Amino acid sequence: MSKEKKVLTKPKVAFFDFACCEGCQLQVANLGEKLLDLLGLIDVVEFREVMSEKWDKDYDIAIIEGSITDHHAEERIKKIRARSKILIAYGSCATLGGVNGMKNSFELEEIRKYVYGDKYHYFDSMTTKAVDQVVKVDYYVHGCPVYQPELVEVLKCALRGIPYSVPDKPVCAECKLNENCCLYDKGVVCLGPWTRAGCNSWCPNNGNFCYGCRGLVKNPAKNAAKDIIARYKLDEKLMKNKFDMYNKAKEVSDESKK
Amino acid sequence: MKYHVLEKEQLNCFIKSLAKKMKVVAPISKGHGNYVFGEVKSADEISLNYVPTILPPKKYFMPTKEKMLDFDLSGKEPKDTAALDLEEIAIFGVHTCDLAGIQCLNIVFNERPRDYNYLLRKEKLFIIGLECNKYCDEYASCTLVNSHLPNGGYDLFFTDLGDRFLINVNTQKGEDFVESIDLPKAEPKDMTALEKLREEKKKIFRNEIDVDPKKIPEMLDKVYNSKLWEKVGEKCLSCGNCTNVCPTCYCFDMEDFINLDLKTGYRLRTWDSCQFETFATVAGGENFRSQRSMRQRHRVYRKFKFPVDKFNRFFCTGCGRCSRTCMAGINLKEILKEVAEESKF
Repeated sequence: MSKEKKVLTKPKVAFFDFACCEGCQLQVANLGEKLLDLLGLIDVVEFREVMSEKWDKDYDIAIIEGSITDHHAEERIKKIRARSKILIAYGSCATLGGVNGMKNSFELEEIRKYVYGDKYHYFDSMTTKAVDQVVKVDYYVHGCPVYQPELVEVLKCALRGIPYSVPDKPVCAECKLNENCCLYDKGVVCLGPWTRAGCNSWCPNNGNFCYGCRGLVKNPAKNAAKDIIARYKLDEKLMKNKFDMYNKAKEVSDESKK
Repeated sequence: MKYHVLEKEQLNCFIKSLAKKMKVVAPISKGHGNYVFGEVKSADEISLNYVPTILPPKKYFMPTKEKMLDFDLSGKEPKDTAALDLEEIAIFGVHTCDLAGIQCLNIVFNERPRDYNYLLRKEKLFIIGLECNKYCDEYASCTLVNSHLPNGGYDLFFTDLGDRFLINVNTQKGEDFVESIDLPKAEPKDMTALEKLREEKKKIFRNEIDVDPKKIPEMLDKVYNSKLWEKVGEKCLSCGNCTNVCPTCYCFDMEDFINLDLKTGYRLRTWDSCQFETFATVAGGENFRSQRSMRQRHRVYRKFKFPVDKFNRFFCTGCGRCSRTCMAGINLKEILKEVAEESKF
C-alpha cells in the first residue's frame, strides 16, 4: 500500500444558543491560552458571539447552549441535530433546563400573561425543556456557567470519539478534598450533598454555597435530605425552592413520563 | 530513648530553623471549628490546640491527585515514563491518632506489589508529633483503639509540659535536627513531669464506648445481617466525606488524561471512596454494594474486622473525623455501641 498522505481536515464545530444568558459562550471565549490550543484542533464554523460567518454544510460537532422554550426553538434544534454528527449540550439551561425551568412551576397560560401582558398570544411559549428532552445528546457539560476545565475535557473526549462520564458522586466529594469549611458548619444550606460533582466545588471554594446547577446525582439520598432538614432545622419549602432553581424542568419531564 | 527540651518561647525559633531547611506544614485554623494542615512560616500561625484537621496528614503521603506517569501515543508504539513529584516537608503537630493512621498506610503500601511512589515520598517527610493532654472533642475514640499515647511512627514527638515542650527523639533524622539547633537535653525533672502527665491522662482518657476492643471483630461477625446497617444506610448521603477524611482509607482510582495535542497525556491517581454509588459497579452495570447500608457496613468492617484478620490491628485510629464531618449525623461510636448491643442476641 502506498503511503498516501492523509488530508487532514479539522472537525467543523459550531456553537448555538437557545434560551440562555450566553454566559457559557463567554466561558469559551475566556478560555485564554487553552482556546488557542483548541483552535489548532478544530475549525469553528459558527459562533454568534465571536464571529458572523455561517456554515451551510454538516457539522462534526454542534455545541448547544440554552434550553428549548418555544416551538420555533424545538424545530431549530431538531434541524441542527439532523446536520450534526456529535451534539454537545453545555450549561445548565441546555443540560437540565436550568433557571428557565422555573417557568414550569406555573400554569403556562398564566405565566405567559404575567410576562407578556394581554398580547401574550403573539408570543409563542411552551414548557421549558432541556436539549435531551427534544433531541439526542451525546455529551453533557453541566454547570452555570460551565466549568472550563471540564468543558475542555469533554471536547477532548468528543474529538477522540470516546465517552465522557460525568462524575456521579456529590459535590461534597470534591469539596472535602479542597478542605473547605462545610457550609452546614457555617449554618448555610448547601445543595452539594445531592448535586453531581465535576466542578471541583467551584462555588464553596469561593465562599459560596452549592446551588445545584449541575443537576442531581443519579440516586440522590432522599431520606438523608429529610434528616438534614430536621437536624439543621431547615425550612422544607425553602429547600425545595433551592432544588427547583435549576432542576425544575427535569422534574416535570420525569413526572410526565410516569 | 532520647529526650530534649524546648522552652515554649523558643518554638518560633524552632519553626523558623526548620523552615530554613524545608517546607513546614502545621495545623492552622479555618474558622468555624475547622482546621487544616497548611504551610507556616512562624509559630504564631499554628493552632496548637486543634481538633483533628479536615483532611489528615495522609494528604502529604498520598496526594489527593498524583501524577503516576506521562505517556506519548504519537509513535508506532506508545511510550510511557513514570512520574514522581517529591517535596521535602516537615509536618508539625501530628496527633497520636494521625501517627497511627500513617503507620496503617505504611503497612498497606509496603505490601507487595509495593507502592514506590508512596514509599519514596514518605522518606522525604519529617514527622513531628504532638501529644494530646486532653480530648479534642466528644467524637474522638482514641482510647478504644489505644492511639491516645504515642506508639512510634515519628521523627520527633512533642509533649506540652506547661512552660516547655519535652521532645522525644525517635530517628537519626530527628536527632540530627535537634542537634543542629543545640536543644538542651531533658533533665530528670522533665521526665518526672512527663510521668505525671501520663498518669493524669489515664484519668481523662477512658474507653469511650465501654466495649472491649478485642471483642469487636467477633461481634461484627454476628451482626452482618443486622437491621442496624439499614438504619445507618437510611441516613447516609453517599458523599464520601467519612472515607475522604479517614486517616487510614487509601482506596484510589486511576484515570488517563490526554493533552490538547491529543497525542501526549498523563495518568492521575485520585482518592476514591467505597461510599460512592459507582465504587463497586463493574462492567455491565452490576453493583456489588448497591445499597447505602452495604457500603456503610463495608466501611465499618474495613476498620474493625478485615484489617484485624489481615494485619492484626484496627484501621480506626479514633480520630473521630468520620463522625465529625457527617452532615447526616452518622456517628461511629454510636454504631459500635449498637454492634455491641445487637451481638448479644
